[in-house]
Parts: sequence; C-alpha cells; structure tokens
Amino acid sequence: MLYENRKALREVCDKYEESHPDIKIELTYRETEELRSNFQSSAIGGSGPDLIYGPSDQVGPFAVMGIIQSLDELFPSSFFDQFLSNAVVRFQEKTWMVGDGVGNHLMLMFNKELISTPPESTDELIQMGKSLTKDLNGDGIIDQYGLVWNFTEPFFYVPWIGGFGDWFINDDGSPNLNTKSNENAFAFIKSLRDEHRIIPKECDYETANALFKTGRAAMIINGDWSWGDYRDKVDFGIAALPMVSSTGDFPTPLVSTKGYSINVHTTGEQLSHTIDLMTYLTSPEVQLHYVRRLNVQPSSLAALAHPNVQSNSLLNQNADIIKKGRPMPVVPELRAIWDALRGEYQSVLAGTKDPHAAAVESQRKAIDQIKTMNVVIEPGVQGKFIKGLLFLFIAALGIVFWIKKKIYLRSFQENKFAYLMLLPAFLGIMSVIIFPFGYNLIISLSNFSLRTFKHWEIIGFHHFASVLTDGGFYSLFGKTIIWTVVNVSFHVSLGVFLAVLINRTLPAKRTFRTLLIIPWALPQYIAALTWRGMFNQEYGSINLILNQLLNMSPIQWLSQPVEAFSACIITNIWLGFPFMMVVALGGLQSIPKEMYEASQVDGASRWQQFWNITLPMIKPVMIPAVILGTIWTFNNINVVWLVSNGGEPSDLTHILVSYVYKAAFNLYRYGYAAALSMIIFLILSMFTVVFMRRSKLDTVV
Amino acid sequence: MSKKIETLFIFSFLVLFTLATLYPALNIIGISLRTDDAFQSRSLALWTSESSFRSYVTLFLKTDFLTWMKNSFLVSFVVTLTGVVLASTSGYALSRFNFMGRRAVLSSLLMTQMFPATMLLLPFFILLAKLKLINSYLGLIIIYSSTALPFCIWQMKGYYDTIPDALEEAARIDGCSRFSAFTKVILPVSAPALVITALFSFMASWSEYVVAAIVLQDPGLYTLPLGLKSFQASLSTQWGLYAAGAVVVSIPVMILFISLSRFLVSGLTVGSVKG
Repeated sequence: MLYENRKALREVCDKYEESHPDIKIELTYRETEELRSNFQSSAIGGSGPDLIYGPSDQVGPFAVMGIIQSLDELFPSSFFDQFLSNAVVRFQEKTWMVGDGVGNHLMLMFNKELISTPPESTDELIQMGKSLTKDLNGDGIIDQYGLVWNFTEPFFYVPWIGGFGDWFINDDGSPNLNTKSNENAFAFIKSLRDEHRIIPKECDYETANALFKTGRAAMIINGDWSWGDYRDKVDFGIAALPMVSSTGDFPTPLVSTKGYSINVHTTGEQLSHTIDLMTYLTSPEVQLHYVRRLNVQPSSLAALAHPNVQSNSLLNQNADIIKKGRPMPVVPELRAIWDALRGEYQSVLAGTKDPHAAAVESQRKAIDQIKTMNVVIEPGVQGKFIKGLLFLFIAALGIVFWIKKKIYLRSFQENKFAYLMLLPAFLGIMSVIIFPFGYNLIISLSNFSLRTFKHWEIIGFHHFASVLTDGGFYSLFGKTIIWTVVNVSFHVSLGVFLAVLINRTLPAKRTFRTLLIIPWALPQYIAALTWRGMFNQEYGSINLILNQLLNMSPIQWLSQPVEAFSACIITNIWLGFPFMMVVALGGLQSIPKEMYEASQVDGASRWQQFWNITLPMIKPVMIPAVILGTIWTFNNINVVWLVSNGGEPSDLTHILVSYVYKAAFNLYRYGYAAALSMIIFLILSMFTVVFMRRSKLDTVV
Repeated sequence: MSKKIETLFIFSFLVLFTLATLYPALNIIGISLRTDDAFQSRSLALWTSESSFRSYVTLFLKTDFLTWMKNSFLVSFVVTLTGVVLASTSGYALSRFNFMGRRAVLSSLLMTQMFPATMLLLPFFILLAKLKLINSYLGLIIIYSSTALPFCIWQMKGYYDTIPDALEEAARIDGCSRFSAFTKVILPVSAPALVITALFSFMASWSEYVVAAIVLQDPGLYTLPLGLKSFQASLSTQWGLYAAGAVVVSIPVMILFISLSRFLVSGLTVGSVKG
C-alpha cells in the first residue's frame, strides 16, 4: 500500500475514532504477498486482524481456506446495491469483499512535455517510441526511452493477450494460454525490445518508475495507483493502452477492486463493531475523501454521482479506460496461472524459447500446477498405518523411559549441577526448535494444502515419494550443490588467503581486518537488495564499472539464468568470506612463531611452509567452521530470494530452500514443502556425519 | 629489499581489495544522499550536486524511526542478556561434565541448524498464538534467544574446552563451590568468547525481519527492520528513506563489530578440538 494511501486511511480512521471514543483502530501494513502469507499463518493460529484490506484476487484463496467470512449474512442486501457491481466481490455464489474504489488497472501515461497526443495504435506507438528513444549526449548510450514499464511481470503483460484476441483465463478458472494471441503477444513484446528498441533491455518496476519520473522516458504503462507519486513531478496525461494495429482490438487491462473482508475468527461484539467500521470505510463520505486526496475511482454509486467526481476530468477519462478492461479473476487457480505464465514468458524474453513452444508449455504447466494445488489426497490404509506407527513410537519412547527411569534418575542425581546449568537453554530450544520440527514432521506426512487448510489428515509418505520421483528435485539439488560448493570454497580460500596476508607484519594491519569484516556486519537483507540494484543491466554500478574500466558490453545479470545465478553467488561470496577470514585469523594466532623459524632454517620455501605448517595447524579450527558454513550456505534463502527476486528468470535460480518457501507460501503446498524440508534436513545430517568421520573429527562432539 | 617490495605489493593488493569490498556499503550511503528519483542514474559518483542529507532529516523528524530504534534496542538488549547467560552456563555443562545424553545434546544443537528456517515459521506462529504471545515482545524474545542459542552454546563450549581443568580444580581446593568456581574463575577468563556470544545474539535480533513480521502487528511495537520495510512498498519504494534507514540500522552493528574485532579473532572458536 502506498505511503500516501496509508496516510489517507489513517486520516479517515482518526475521524472515526473521534466519533466513537470507545473504539481504537489499529492499522498494520503488509505488502500484498506478505499480507497473504501472514494472514494465512495467523488464521491457522486462530487470530489475526478483524478487517483485512487487500486486492480482490486474494478472495479466492482466503475463501477456499475458510479464513474469511461470507458477508451475505452480515449485511442487508441493500448494502451491496450501493456499489458498482465490480466492487462487490463474489466467489462461489457468496460475497466476500466490498471495495472502496475500483481500478488498479494499467493504462498508458505520457509526459506532456515530450508528447502532445498519445499514440492510438501500436504502429503509432512504435513510431513515436522510435523518435523518442534517444541518445542525447552522443556517447552511444540511450538516455531517453520512448516507453518503459515492468514488462516482465504477467500482470503487466496479459492486457496484450486480450489485444490480440483471446483471454488468458476461461470463465471457469482454467488457463487459456496455448493460443495464437498469447504467442503473438509474446512476440510483440519481444519485438518492442529487440527489433524496435523502444524499451530498455532490463526494466523492473523501480527502474521504469524512476525513468518516467525524471523525464527520461516519454511513456510508461502503469496503474492508477501511481498518479499520486507522479502528480508533483511530471506533467502527465493518461490514455488507454493503444489499439493493436494488426487486430484492431484494444488491450484489456485487468480491473479490480481493493476492499475489505472480515476475519472468520471475529465474532460477537467485536464483529458488530467491525461491521460498523467497514460500513464507514466504504461509505461515500470516505470515498470522496479519497477522491480529493488520491484521485481514486469511487465504487459507491452515491460518490460517483457527486459533482466533485462528475467534474473531475482525470476520473472521467479513467472511467473510459476502465470500460476497455476486464475484471480481475478471483479464483485461487489464478496464482498457478501467473506462475506458469511468468516462467515461460521470461524464457521468451531471455531468448531461450520461441513463442509457440512457450505458449504450449505455459498451458501445460498451468494445468499441472492447478492439479497439484487442488489435489486432496485421501488418507488411505497407509495413513492409518502411519498414524498407528507414530502412536506406537511415542508409546515405545514412554516405555523405554519408564524402564530406564532409575538410570536416568541416578544420572541426574550424579550430575545435578550439569543438568541444572543446561536446563533453561534446553527448554528454550526445545520449545522453539524441537516442537516446530515435530510439527513439520507430522505436516510432511499429511495432506495439508489449499483445500484442506482447516481439516488436514495424515496420509503417509506421498509427498516424500512425489519429491523423490520428480526430476525437478534433482536439478534443484544439483544447483544447490553448485551453490554450496562454489560459495564455501570461495569463502574458505579467500578467507584463509586474506588471513595469511593480514597476519604478516603489515602497516595498518588492524584497519584492514576491521574494514574487511564489514560485509559480515551489514544486515543481510540490506546487502542483498543493494547488490540487486548494482546488477541492473543499465544503471547498476557493476556494468558501469565493467564498461568504463574494461570497455565490456553490459551483461544482462538479472534476466539470463546463468548470469542471475552467478549474481546470487557473487553476492553471497561477498557476504560470507569475512567469517572464514576471522576464524582463520584466530587459527593463525595459535601457531607458534618458532615453527616457522625452524622450517626456515631447514630451507623451506614460503609455499612449503604454507602447506606443511599453516594449513595443518589451522585445519582443526577451519573444519567445524566449514561444516557450519556449508549448512548455513545450503540453507541460505535470503540472498537467492532477494537478488533473483524470488527465482527469476523463469524459476531457474532456485535452490532447495527457496523452492520450499515458494511451494509453501506461493502454491499453498504445505505438506509438500514440509516433506522437502525433511529431505533437506536428512541430506545435511548425512553430509555432516560423513564429513566429520572423514576428517576424523567426531571428537568434536 | 625484496621483502620490502613484497610487503608493498601485498599492501597495495589489500588496499584495492578492501576498496572493492567496501564499494557496496558505500553505494548504500550514496543512494541515501540522493533524491528518490535519482536512484537510477548512470553516475558512479557517491556525492553529486543533487546530494543532500534530506532523507536523514525526514527519517528522524517525520517518521517513527526513533520509536523503532528504541524497540529494537530493547528487544536486542534482552535477547543478548538471555543469550549470554544461557549459553555460558549450558556451554560449561557440556564442556566439563560427562553426563548421560551429552553427545545427543551436542549433535542435536548442530542439527537445529540444518532445518530450513522458513518452515519453522508456521509452527512458531501456532505456538505463540496458543500461548497468547502474538503482538508481544516476550514471544519475539523467546524465539530470538532460542534460535541464536545453538550456535552460541557450541561456541562457548569450544572456548571452555581450551581452558585447562586445573584452573577450577585449584579454586575448588581453595574451597569454592562448583558454581562460584565457574563464575569467579572461568567466566572472567572467557571474556572473549562471551563477547562473541553477545555479538551473535545481538545480531540475531537486531536485523531480523521474517519472524518479527509474523509476531508484531501493532506498528507501535515495530522493530527497525519492520519499520524499514514499510518504506519499501512493492509499487513505490521511498529509496532515499530506505537507504538512509539502512545506513542508520547498520551503524550500531558496525560499531560493535569494529570495537570487538579484537575479541572476534581470539574468541571465535567454533568448536575447536580439546587439547
């Protein structure tokens, strides 16, 4: 939610609190994705906010999971009649959300200083784009683009499928991606970038936004939410997305509403307060306030009839643009379709697939993912068997404990001091790590997913089997191994190398040591996001430096699979080497100087000294660090997720842990994700045992 | 002579390497000094004619940054204290006593690091909701202290292993109890390891985001990472503010690291072998 929108919401809430002194409204913000995953978690825990405000497409999943309540019983039907029909969100014959505005749709915005009348067709768009994409200072680099937008995201792409004739989703929620229109739209976007060159090669939302705001892009495709941000900075006009010249059809942006739903756990008096608040927040009075503050297209019929809205030329124009759009689907299947489309579309843009193959593949993937998302595995005999087994196991534990209780008791009495010292930490770790671990073990054996959100059952080893028989797992595993091996070897070799250099008699030795620790000290998420910015193809410092120092042509770091994965690895190497350096420095300090002196007398070279004295002497400290480093790297989700923006391009930069996250929170496959986590856990345990045996270090434990 | 040239060579290499290493950190500072819209720029300069400290002024005067900072300090302080107390005692038990289950405890400590943390979130939440600890610092503190503990215990145990047993035996002969031998003799000589444990516990809570995001819902309770993230709306990030916040968040950690780097080298014994 934009900052300005939050402020406006707070203003209307303050007003409500003034007239209802006994009620205090607490506002808490989460970004769309997090809102979803956090609300899911809190609903399982039986709590969460009473009123949830968000985009209409979350209604499907929330309703299926049963974590929001149907509004039909809570409000009189006359209440719903006060709104435009697309602001009253219905799913499976029930009403789940009421919007306080309509829109959220894409349109063409143009800088009036550069363009007087916006293009009406794609031919005109390309022509204008070409004349406006310019190298202003003659250094061979383009300084001003004709058109920019976040074109790699499906939401910003699907309007064009409509412009080429078909739609990407059928009315029943099934995907419709294997169409000529989808192929043509793929090819069209690619031609804008590669053939006509009127859009930048890599352009995420932030880049597009910044270019348009600073007058370095003549046109942008963006939604109505951005008006407030542009208002003071650019003199802009709005228009519908230009008609596709070859078909004569207009692109169809998705039109949705943002609105309020009520938590299923809200009951009694709290519920009647919530209903009252929701009535207020969707009232014409509040909507007119938003019109004034933010230029939001109202959803209330009374607000629409108000002279302030009638005379607002921006909103009038906007209403015409909305007419060209299509409503945002609310079915939960939408996520699976987005996901399939995103991957294939990014492959087309990366040049690794042709439009036809991508269209076929995206349809197949979407159908596949919808199937896995919706499947409910019934607990069969195996489920009962496993349940019995679990029960027996716990019983056996209890019996063993009972039989041996005397020995335990004696041991406790003998070492009372040790046990008491250990107890508080043990309790903490027990509750925070062992309980969740047990919980996951059970979930991994269950059919916990979107459709069984509230009543899952134990089904057995299905998820383990499906992980291990899926070829995708092995390629992810391979990538994770590459990721871990490359990272850890660089961490260790760089760390030891630097430690040896720093450990010599050098001027400013301490300063080096201190400064080289900084990557470790910087909070990881801040560092990762900074690196992502530095990898931007046109504006990131890395390409700029490569270009200025080595005269290299820019590398597409973030949109090609191998490059993107390398970018993640580079970032993580940077983050991880200081730890190894510090450990190695500690090890080096324990080596007595006499050893080197003695070997010098024997005529050993530096290199020989390093191999024969330094390495063996620091090995005992390095090995535990390597084991820990390997485990941490293997399970490091932050860097991969943040640098590659959740696996882009085409989900090709995932390692096992980031895939677990995606499976659990993106596709609602909790059971599957838990099974995968258990497998990761087993892999790492085996690694540790083997590695410790091999290095004869089981004495550590 | 050749030795001097070598030193010069190594010195200049280290200077270049350090500069390259510091660049990303300097880059954040550069962004924090620019205006929001200059985020995408082709200039490599950190200070341009448009640079100003405006973001910092806004950060402190117009946002709740100071509240978040206070909250973060409170949480991190308690977590650090708990971490140090619990890790120092249990590390001692594991280093000095050979009791039943010792090996099991040590291996399970290592094993806790092997489970993907993201999958722990859901059970965390259920647990806290059952205990009515959602939206409270207590819940957050319990989770932070316990997640940092396994590493800290290992680390403390490794350090105690390097201290000869004779030390507390002497104290015991002088009539000290077990516990006072531990507090009066062992703890003082373990200062470097204690400092590292404190540093790790502090780090685990100071910049943690994911758990904080599910536990804290009331903006009045937000810690720094949560507050910082609120500048970063998915469709319009206030980059100047975000970067300025990031710089300020990093400063305490930097100061700690820099002032403690002496201890880091001597105290970080990730489980070195006894003897």
